[in-house]
Amino acid sequence: MPESVHSQDPDQSMVDAEQPEQEVVSNDPILEERQVVVLPGATDTAASFQFEGEGHTMGNALRYAIMKNPAVEFCGYTIPHPSDAKMHVRIQTTDSTTALEALEKGFNDLMDLCDVVTEKFTSARDQFNAESGNRMEV
Amino acid sequence: MAPLVPSQEELQRRRIIGINAETVTNIPSTDFPGHWPGESHGWAVDEFQKVEFHRNDQFEASFSLIGLDASVANAFRRILMAEIPTIAIEDVFIHNNTSVIQDEVLAQRLGLIPLKGSVEGINWMQWFKKATEEGGEEDGPCDFNTIVLHLDMECYKNEHAAKDEQDPRKLYTNAHVYAKDLMFTPVGRQEQYFVGDGAIAPVNPDILIAKMRPGQAIQMELHCQKGIGADHAKFSPVATASYRLLPDIKIERPIIGDDAKKFAKCFPKGVIGLEPVTSAEAAQRGSGYEGHSGEQKAVVKDAFSDTVSRECLRHDEFKDKVKLGRVRDHFIFNVESTGQFDSDVLFLEAVKVLKLKCNRWKRGLTDLMA
Amino acid sequence: MSRETYQVPSMGTQNTFDAQGGGYASAMAIDSPSVVYLCGECSARVPLKRGDQIRCKDCGHRVLYKERTKRMVQFQAR
Repeated sequence: MPESVHSQDPDQSMVDAEQPEQEVVSNDPILEERQVVVLPGATDTAASFQFEGEGHTMGNALRYAIMKNPAVEFCGYTIPHPSDAKMHVRIQTTDSTTALEALEKGFNDLMDLCDVVTEKFTSARDQFNAESGNRMEV
Repeated sequence: MAPLVPSQEELQRRRIIGINAETVTNIPSTDFPGHWPGESHGWAVDEFQKVEFHRNDQFEASFSLIGLDASVANAFRRILMAEIPTIAIEDVFIHNNTSVIQDEVLAQRLGLIPLKGSVEGINWMQWFKKATEEGGEEDGPCDFNTIVLHLDMECYKNEHAAKDEQDPRKLYTNAHVYAKDLMFTPVGRQEQYFVGDGAIAPVNPDILIAKMRPGQAIQMELHCQKGIGADHAKFSPVATASYRLLPDIKIERPIIGDDAKKFAKCFPKGVIGLEPVTSAEAAQRGSGYEGHSGEQKAVVKDAFSDTVSRECLRHDEFKDKVKLGRVRDHFIFNVESTGQFDSDVLFLEAVKVLKLKCNRWKRGLTDLMA
Repeated sequence: MSRETYQVPSMGTQNTFDAQGGGYASAMAIDSPSVVYLCGECSARVPLKRGDQIRCKDCGHRVLYKERTKRMVQFQAR
């Protein structure tokens, strides 16, 4: 697919040149320095993304979230070599969406899940604490 | 076409991972679109059913997360161990150490001592940026990235000790150096954050650091920094963070009488109970209870406490009568804090970290969109 | 050449290697600083100067140890 490789090139050089230091700085400078790169050979509906400094923690959870998307035909993740901290995610989608959109939806879905878990966890804990507190008083 | 909805029995069957004497069955998750023809299985947050608490002590909590995939539960567990920041001793400046324990060994021991302090203060602290090989410059130690502790001890003879005293702790003063001897000296804004109970101190004051004899002394300055468990285990906020799947025991055909007693002994106490066979059961034809009215039968009382040792599968008399398994989406977490944070807060932190990471990467994507 | 007749060599004079070495030692003996050692037997502090007998002044033990460096040493707690 020489054409797709070529079309992806300007994208990549732009990412390499512009990303560092220009982002909004959060409270975590270590996290901020890392970057995402689209690996060569990507098309709209099939792409591999490289995440610097990520591992199985994010990789497997993200893979699951993306696989739950009906428009995704394939999603898998790999850490090509254990000694460099890079994680690759491969996404292939149907024509109804793009790989990038599927990836973004994956992140959104995971964040929604985090909210739900937090909410249910706190309410279960508060209820448990209240009940065990009552038991102690009796 | 509306998606097919599988029956409750079918869903329940899919939830159980089978455990045989030597093998496991029905292992991978299949809840993906396209796996089961006609069924939807798209993303839905309401698949996460609930949280059940079993125990919530300050430094140890146990709870179940029900309706989650292993990949997400595992992400929480991994984050708990390796990606929640804490404070630990990082740099050790030894001015004097004439004790028998070597400098480098002493430094390593000190690093592993869990420290506590005001949570607000720890969250306020920033990373200490180290010099990198690519020429990145090191931050100097500042009030917002370094906490300074001092250890200054000298051992000498105790003049008031009894003549026949054998205990070196009474014979000498400062024969043992403990974690409680670490002295915190707040600088700058640390004086506002780490005051009173919020002062930086070891969680366990009685950790033995070194032993000395008269004439020996230790003098050093210790710099504590913020870090994560992925960098070094001393930064890990948990002693253990683990999950197991809820065990599932199905008695498929009656186990009665002496067999029932033997069956109960195959499991930890309380997992299997004995109940008398009712006359109604005995009257039912084909139930396997005919003529056994009043005898003891084995029933599952508390599968939660089972260890899934598979002992019962080693006995021929229980063959085909029992089926062991685990519930795929019921994770029983156990989180034990090292003392810097409360155990329930730690889990909430883990969820927060996962969300933060997602958010950060999502922002990184906007550059790819252009 | 005896120690007493020795003169500090100047650039122009020709000295043998032997004379130079002996002269150095005698010059130091007058104002050499004393170094404190620790007795291997009784742990007493033994200040010694150049040329002193290597022997503990309290117990006569002949094994002495150097004191630990006064310099600060830095380690990583890892």
